[in-house]
Amino acid sequence: MTLLLALLLAASDAQGMQLFADANAAYLSGDVARAIASYEALASEGVLSPQLETNLGSAYARQGKRGLAALHFERALFLDPGDDDARSDLVELRRGNVDRLEGELEEGGAETVARLLAPLPGAVAAIALLVLWSACWVLLGVRIARGGSRWASIAATGCFAALLLSALVTWGAAASRRMALQRAVVIAAAAPAREGPSDKSSSRFEVHEGTTARVEDEDGGFRRLKLANGLVGWVPKAAVELVVPPGWAGRGRPES
Amino acid sequence: MTPRRTGSALLLSLSLALPALAAGELTLSASADADEVALDGTLRLQISATYADRGEPGQLELPPFADFDVVGRSQSDQMSFVFSNGAPSFRHTILTNVTLTPRRVGDLTIEPARVEYQGKTYRTQPIRIHVVPAGQARRGGGRPDPSAGTDDGAPEDRAPDGLDPFADVHPGQRDLLVRASVDNDRPFVGQQVTWSLYLLSRVNVSSLDKLLLPRLDGFWTEDIESPQQLVAEPRTIDGVQYSAYLLRRRALFPLRAGKATIEPAEVGLVTGFGMLFSRGSSRRSSQPVQLDVQPLPPGRPPGFDPGNVGDWTLTATVEPVNVAVGQPVTLRLVASGRGNVRDLQLPKLGNIAGLRAYDPTTSDHETVDKGQVTGTRTVEQLLVPERTGPVEIPALSMEIFDPAQKAYRTLRTAPVGLSVVAAPQGQAPAEPVAQNLLAAGGMRPIRLRLATASAGAAPWSEPWFWPALGAPPFGLALLLGVSRLRRMMMIDPERQRVKLARTAAARRLRGAQALLARGDAGAFYAEIARAVTGYLADKQGILSAGLTREELAEAVARRGHGEETVRRLIRLLDDCDRMRFSPGSGDAPAREAMLGRADQVLSELDRGRA
Repeated sequence: MTLLLALLLAASDAQGMQLFADANAAYLSGDVARAIASYEALASEGVLSPQLETNLGSAYARQGKRGLAALHFERALFLDPGDDDARSDLVELRRGNVDRLEGELEEGGAETVARLLAPLPGAVAAIALLVLWSACWVLLGVRIARGGSRWASIAATGCFAALLLSALVTWGAAASRRMALQRAVVIAAAAPAREGPSDKSSSRFEVHEGTTARVEDEDGGFRRLKLANGLVGWVPKAAVELVVPPGWAGRGRPES
Repeated sequence: MTPRRTGSALLLSLSLALPALAAGELTLSASADADEVALDGTLRLQISATYADRGEPGQLELPPFADFDVVGRSQSDQMSFVFSNGAPSFRHTILTNVTLTPRRVGDLTIEPARVEYQGKTYRTQPIRIHVVPAGQARRGGGRPDPSAGTDDGAPEDRAPDGLDPFADVHPGQRDLLVRASVDNDRPFVGQQVTWSLYLLSRVNVSSLDKLLLPRLDGFWTEDIESPQQLVAEPRTIDGVQYSAYLLRRRALFPLRAGKATIEPAEVGLVTGFGMLFSRGSSRRSSQPVQLDVQPLPPGRPPGFDPGNVGDWTLTATVEPVNVAVGQPVTLRLVASGRGNVRDLQLPKLGNIAGLRAYDPTTSDHETVDKGQVTGTRTVEQLLVPERTGPVEIPALSMEIFDPAQKAYRTLRTAPVGLSVVAAPQGQAPAEPVAQNLLAAGGMRPIRLRLATASAGAAPWSEPWFWPALGAPPFGLALLLGVSRLRRMMMIDPERQRVKLARTAAARRLRGAQALLARGDAGAFYAEIARAVTGYLADKQGILSAGLTREELAEAVARRGHGEETVRRLIRLLDDCDRMRFSPGSGDAPAREAMLGRADQVLSELDRGRA
């Protein structure tokens, strides 16, 4: 049974690779629409890959769809915060953004810090935190049971220092992840940001495709968007897309 | 409102009256070219004095013009012979034209003019003029006069009324005026607008001592005319003669759509000539000029650059077209025409297989033709063939917007073919003439290998993480608690043995009683001895097996038991040993008594120990 499942998975992987290769070939031959269709098919199958997202971003950029291009570059960075290609392409893309944020960044650079923290090995640090935490308690138990010894003290000090470090790294990675889960990109060419979650509310400002923001709330067909400089408004849900890929833990599959 | 004209009727009546004039007489009349005029208009008063002889004419005394300002005056003479009843008669007519501008609104009167002639005083009739507020009558208010504007040969109107810098000028204003004008107040973005600055003067202007031009933010600007000397051009406005001087003319190319204002220019002037005391200085500012810059119309073709506005042509040439491999050729792309050449974006040559391209160089040449800025932008690029055979440089295209036609156009060059032959033996390839500058930036190529990422949640968001983190302290606390409990619950076997020693001895005595009931006397006494020695071992810690009776007695005594108790113990043990090995082993009452003695000894030992 296990062998059968493994064979099925391997066959599925091979099909995915073939589709990816076909999409790349279409892109390189200039058939960007077909390349996008193939990349999107892979993504809808649940394939999570920074390379897939980067290529999809490049394809959308070629079509002039800046919002979707920015979304997929952001997704590539979400999946692999160290992806240099995605970061470079995103910077290049943002040069042409319509929206220019004015004023001081209200988040106090938290976004930047989160970006810097994103590459931290959060999962490894969390496991290390668990192991070191347990070790500290074991050492404490030994000390209680058998009395203090020099080697036990040294081991306990080292263990505690490593515990602090892993706790810090885990906290940083968790903070970054929390922010990343709220990050969204404006994919509509332009969308009014309103006072409330209704078409009848007055428009405060307008956002344009490619602008990154944080989703703070949802209500009906609207999302409450906060820009990095503190501007807040409700925009239609279809105008913005969360960076976290569909199917990722903490986010459901897209409605078909 | 149209002013009512009366002059034609007056001239007719005058000509009819002339034959009746006798020698030595004077006919004096006055007329205005309109009986209604606006406050900002002008009025022409014509005074006609006709003499019937050749004598000295009388001196005309003009009215005082209490409600008018005189802004112009001219005089002309006419001599004529008229045949009346077959006899010729002489006529000398002096026409005096006075241009007036009213000082106030209302019904005003031009007072009579007066002539003293041959001892007589002649007067004209007063003329009533109705003056309406400014702008309510046709500017000038005067009757169309064929001679107007032609006195000095200069046309009255030189530009469309809305764009004439002097359109809002009337002679009631000051003697010195500075006016700015544009040739088009609704240009498209990038289209040339010609801004001119004029000085209009009714006094002599000797020089300009200051000219402060406005800031022209939001425009590309080019100087078209900057006169070094003041050159007067006569202008007649509402019948009044002025001298117009062009001070500056510039070409402006708006950079963005919307309303734009060109701020006033400031001019400092020196007026008068010659004598020191007749000279004066004045300062004047022009009026601001409003522009409504139109955005480029919709339907921009793909690749259109907003700087490409104008009437342009595009050509591409390559020299030489026959070349050896490794030898450079020059691609020359030339755009020429009318517009802002400095903002022009020429098409770029893409990669061509077999050709290495170097960075292009750009040169511009600007000229002014009939007030329009024209120019040529030339882009030269060196290309070095890297293989032999025919190489084609494809057609290049450029999208432009022609504001004259209000339409987008596509300019295309013709493709150019190169014939590349092998380099002669010994000929070194040309040295690179420029560096290949590789600027950072641009989108990166796609990736061909796919690596998947797992969609697993972070460990800290897993349901097991926090319980696992709580497990070590909980485990340690549990361990310590159990240990303590166990310690609390644990029973010392020594103490247990001591505690249960009496019970064990009593149990053995009951066993002995059972043996007695079975009739086993030996076993009965042995069991009694074991009950006592067992008690000593458990309770007192005295192992009697290896001790003599004396040593046992001494050990029991050391435990603090009384001498009598020790003696009874020794005797009991001796009796048990003796009865166990002796035949008959005593009778039943003796055996019962032995049980009683054993119980008593044990009780004493127990008490003594306590």
